[in-house]
Amino acid sequence: MLCAGAEGLIAVMTEGGEVAGREQRLVHIDAVDPHDRLVQWLNEIIVAAVSDGFLFASADIALTGSTGLSATIRGEPDAGDRVLAELKSATYHDLELGQEGGSWRARVVIDV
Amino acid sequence: MTIELVRIDDYRYSIPKRGGMRVPGLIYASRAMAREIGADKSPQQVVNVAHLPGIIGHSIAMPDIHWGYGFPIGGVAAFDPDEGVLSPGGVGYDINCGVRLLTSRIERRELDGKVAALATALHRAIPSGVGSQSHRKLSAGELKRVLTRGARWAVEAGYGASSDLELAEEGGCIGGADPAEVSERAIERGKPQLGSLGSGNHFCELGYVAEIFDPETAAAFGLALDRVTVLIHSGSRGLGYQVCDDSLRSMLRAADRHGIHLPDRQLAAAPLRSDEARRYFAAMACAINFAFANRQMMTHFVREAVDDFLGEAGDLDLVYDVCHNIAKWETHEVDGAPRRVCVHRKGATRAFGPGHPDVPERYRAVGQPVLVPGDMGRYSYVLAGTERAMHETFGSSCHGAGRRMSRAQAKKSARGRPIFQELAAKGIHVRSDSAGTVAEEISEAYKDVADVIDVIDGAGIARKVAKLVPLAVVKG
Repeated sequence: MLCAGAEGLIAVMTEGGEVAGREQRLVHIDAVDPHDRLVQWLNEIIVAAVSDGFLFASADIALTGSTGLSATIRGEPDAGDRVLAELKSATYHDLELGQEGGSWRARVVIDV
Repeated sequence: MTIELVRIDDYRYSIPKRGGMRVPGLIYASRAMAREIGADKSPQQVVNVAHLPGIIGHSIAMPDIHWGYGFPIGGVAAFDPDEGVLSPGGVGYDINCGVRLLTSRIERRELDGKVAALATALHRAIPSGVGSQSHRKLSAGELKRVLTRGARWAVEAGYGASSDLELAEEGGCIGGADPAEVSERAIERGKPQLGSLGSGNHFCELGYVAEIFDPETAAAFGLALDRVTVLIHSGSRGLGYQVCDDSLRSMLRAADRHGIHLPDRQLAAAPLRSDEARRYFAAMACAINFAFANRQMMTHFVREAVDDFLGEAGDLDLVYDVCHNIAKWETHEVDGAPRRVCVHRKGATRAFGPGHPDVPERYRAVGQPVLVPGDMGRYSYVLAGTERAMHETFGSSCHGAGRRMSRAQAKKSARGRPIFQELAAKGIHVRSDSAGTVAEEISEAYKDVADVIDVIDGAGIARKVAKLVPLAVVKG
């Protein structure tokens, strides 16, 4: 679900297309709760794209308890010119996170 | 749940106190607007804000109210210093997003046949669009000075004149800024962006004074019929977004620790006396100053571009610079006595009335200029603050037209239409690197700002001074 959310963000920001996982970077999150962890994770993806031009492609993610996260993310560096929508942040507004039929389902509102 | 709006008069609706609301809601709207407002979630957000501890008077919303994150856009709330809270959701992500207006001695007819070329010149002069970056590379030390000195830094660095400073809210620099409270990430996001417009609804608009409603006040503001004007709408860019995001986490923890019930987590708040609030205020003040410096630099770029284009000085004088996403300490009369309160304005503009000591001396007899952009295809308004606003809205008024379509809806509505050509046919030359942004910003995506202004003027919380009509718009 975390990877799907990240892929969705990049698709919105770039209006689609292939993203090459040429470079790696590490992400560590210490959140208040699982909802906050999701928001922080998406914000890592947004900031990497809008500030560094690093577009998320895929990730290996390890969750620690209900609030921690460590990930190695792979993505396309120097791709700032592909970012067509400047997202500000993932928000906590009307945030939903839960399990449905064995799958995780979330709703996150993004400030644009 | 549908929130019942109870009509008070032609311009005011109340949301009576119920449940955990500490104060009633007060929404400024016409009957037609109230129907539209009642159909979305924004009245619920007015109710949510009314739950926050220490709120004084009413949870207020302006007629340009629309659904926001936590607070509604168009929301105003003041908080008691002892019992009240500070909420980043009451300020928004784009801290000190604001507008400034320049006037000139250029007559509109002097630009006949030249507007398209001037639009292109302005587009070249002002870094704009997604991820737009500054002409100036700042050192870390310079950025820290920007964060503490705001527009003063910009003027000292050669971007404008010292006379500009008195014509900005807070003199273009708010106190209490502490760069040590701004995260490295926020610094990194903001450093390359100072002096840039950004994207979304930010713009630089060349226009002219099309109508004057109050000649005396217009003259005090330096506005004359058919004279060319410039509006600049931008904020604190990535630095402000990150300051907001960084603070929400500590505010969530603080709310939990202080037993503050949050109807919406985006309303995360901490008691004004808490360390979390102190730290957020210090970081927010930095973002406020960044935005003041940002608009001051772009003012300089506009002046240079216009002077170069005309081959002579356009004498673009600053009328005023207003903030519309901010929380500040102000003194207001509460229960018949002056009281220091923390006013949150999210998508709302300060509108101090005549005689207020915080209004620049040259405008003190008529009230503060209130700048209300409409949309790029119609018009914008200049208003003046009133005494009534001081009593009803903590000296606040509206900030714009208010969206009526989401960005996705607007894009869908614009699909297949030659928006640039449609506007050019109306004499409005739009320049943007992104056709998508222009599609999101079509006129139909916004309420008619004239309707918003009629409510504000009718309610007496600001009064109409002049109408501006666009000639050229640079969009991010």
